[in-house]
Amino acid sequence: MADTPSSPGGGESGGSVREQDRYLPIANISRIMKRALPPNGKIGKDAKDTVQECVSEFISFVTSEASDRCQKEKRKTVNGEDLLWAMTTLGFEDYLEPLKLYLARYREVSFVYSFSAFKLSC
Amino acid sequence: MAEEEETIRPEFPITRVKKIMKVDKDINKINSEALHLVTYSTELFLRFLAEKSSVVAAEKKRKTVNLDHLRTAVKRHQPTREFLLDSLPLPSAQPVRVTKTVSDKKPPPVGTRRIDAFFSKGKAKVDSP
Repeated sequence: MADTPSSPGGGESGGSVREQDRYLPIANISRIMKRALPPNGKIGKDAKDTVQECVSEFISFVTSEASDRCQKEKRKTVNGEDLLWAMTTLGFEDYLEPLKLYLARYREVSFVYSFSAFKLSC
Repeated sequence: MAEEEETIRPEFPITRVKKIMKVDKDINKINSEALHLVTYSTELFLRFLAEKSSVVAAEKKRKTVNLDHLRTAVKRHQPTREFLLDSLPLPSAQPVRVTKTVSDKKPPPVGTRRIDAFFSKGKAKVDSP
């Protein structure tokens, strides 16, 4: 999807990100973590808050690696392949199979949507 | 159509994931596939952290996962350790046990005669009261 480039220079005045925009919502994090715990398991608040930060670190980390590959190949848009490559490079090859399955499913659904849109427009 | 979408519905708000990615000013454009893959991989990572921390908590016979359990879980997985360990808050400091040592004796009040001065033969001056 087309994306507007980020503003150059990165000035403090207009480009600062709000604190809450640097993290994923704690409610989503809490919900997903709970599913991974045993039935009577709990997570302490400190741990939960730290996990919230860890998750943002992960996003930045993989994105940066994917972006490096993209730039090396002189492209401007980070794509799915860059991401998959980054996962392997960074040692998260366990994620590769579920991600590929997810990507295949995503492409199917996108195709179905675009096909439906095409049919409707006829 | 709705059921197909269900299988790929992200667990996190995509717009927020994108904002986090764009905190890095070097990131220019990201296509939709990449955005969805980042979101899904983040979910996988979160589940991983939760599961492994939970295992550590169980080893220590605790029901509530705390920071130390999280730290141990991070340390045990090399790729995660490499990028995340330094970002974790420092381990909680051990409570400082303040014990009075002999050398911390307060000086005696002015004018006090030390009894050992009295007993040492001619070596110490005995202060006049």
